[in-house]
Amino acid sequence: MKKILFFVFILGALICTALPASTQELSQWALDQSTLSYHMSHPMHEVDGVSHAAKGKGICQSGTCNFLLAVPVKTFDSGDSNRDLHMIEAVRGAEFPMVVVRAQFPESELNQQWIHANLEVQFAGQTAHYSNVPFQRTQQANEVRIQGTVPATCSDFKIERPSFLAVPIKNEIPVRVDAAWHKQ
Amino acid sequence: MRYHQMRNALQHSSNRFLSAKESFAMYQVRATPFLRHALFVFLFVFPLNAYCQQRSALTGTVKDSSGKPVAGAQVAVENVASGQSSNTATDSTGSYTLQQLAAGNYNVTVTANGFTSQTEQVTVTANGTQALDFTLAAAPPGQELPNAPSAAPQEPSLQDLGISQQQMQGNPQLQARLNRRTEMLKIHQKLGLITLAPMVAALITGPMAKAKGRNGQPVEEPTQANLDFHAALGSTTAALYFTTAYFAVFAPKVPGVQKRGAIRMHEALAFVHGPGMILTPILGAMAFKQEQDGEKVHGVASFHGTAATVTVLAYGASIVAVSWPIHLKFWETK
Repeated sequence: MKKILFFVFILGALICTALPASTQELSQWALDQSTLSYHMSHPMHEVDGVSHAAKGKGICQSGTCNFLLAVPVKTFDSGDSNRDLHMIEAVRGAEFPMVVVRAQFPESELNQQWIHANLEVQFAGQTAHYSNVPFQRTQQANEVRIQGTVPATCSDFKIERPSFLAVPIKNEIPVRVDAAWHKQ
Repeated sequence: MRYHQMRNALQHSSNRFLSAKESFAMYQVRATPFLRHALFVFLFVFPLNAYCQQRSALTGTVKDSSGKPVAGAQVAVENVASGQSSNTATDSTGSYTLQQLAAGNYNVTVTANGFTSQTEQVTVTANGTQALDFTLAAAPPGQELPNAPSAAPQEPSLQDLGISQQQMQGNPQLQARLNRRTEMLKIHQKLGLITLAPMVAALITGPMAKAKGRNGQPVEEPTQANLDFHAALGSTTAALYFTTAYFAVFAPKVPGVQKRGAIRMHEALAFVHGPGMILTPILGAMAFKQEQDGEKVHGVASFHGTAATVTVLAYGASIVAVSWPIHLKFWETK
């Protein structure tokens, strides 16, 4: 009987110590500043459109981090208003005014140099998924900086490639993300 | 033919100068080919403009069984014959529009989170807008869409970012305006490049187009031919130039956009070559008249060549301003 009671006590103790591990602490992250830039390549032009207007938030819980970034299409500035309007037209930015990026990655990577995230990008009325996209993580004081490139293409979002002098731009439109976050 | 008869008659009576009436008659005859060219250009170009407005489209609304709009529903169309597909999403009012569809039969499928998907067949006619509305039934419990935007409790939402539904709402009217603007500017770009050819040719043939020598020697056949050719090139240039300008001037404007970059230089140069394209033919006609009257070209008419050169240079610079390879800009550091 004593052995049974001892066994029950040990089992109870194990369950009690295991419980806090399964209900891990929820941490939230807020976006401090960001630079999102797409690169467009044409035989005659190399263009970078930059936006600093993204809003973002991250929640880590139960070993998984979910981050959300949203940026208005019209805030991307390539240095030429005519080209920017053409870009908005080509990506149907008036109908779908926001780019929404959802990133998911293991919470354990939040303390490592590289984060490999699965991305869901809603853009131009389409949704594209990218797996294991590497982002470099650097930390300065309370600020965590995440940098990486989303390997987006025009065809991922069914964007008809804009052309100049009858030559279309390259299909690849990589989007560079540079975002600084702090834990709330 | 009438022009040649008149010119021969004038050559035989070489001891007299052309009267004003004869000069005007000659101008009218000479202007006929210009009018033909202009008519051709306008008949060719304006249908292009009209073509741009003729797009087949499918539009409609998606509502639930209570009549409330369903925002964010995915609307996918597939051409039954070609298999080509396209899709879009409804805005906050539940409206959707699919443009640039070829005429034909389409299967239209609407899917939305929490609703049973629905497929209808519709026939899209050429150059028309077909309406097709959907009323979705609520999905049985547990049915979820694989690609529905995630909204689990531990995930941040757009509301968390302070983004309102209004900010997510699309503006189909603005999109249509942008589409129209792009179509017109594409034509502007192509016509602008085409215009450069006769413009440069007119500039080159200018010095050869002397009705009479500066010392008043008699009219010679080869120089008259050069003058005809020069005038025809000038007329073609003017017709193409103003048609090109039309597609830029009347392209829809987008309110609230501050102009930046090369487009500012492009537009500023139009204030040089625009007046130049009006002034150059006038000065040319004056120079022609003076030469026909046996006078040495004098006064403002003597600036015909200068005006033409400045116009062509400004026009060329305006093209270069918007097409110069950005990555070759040696005066900028990236």
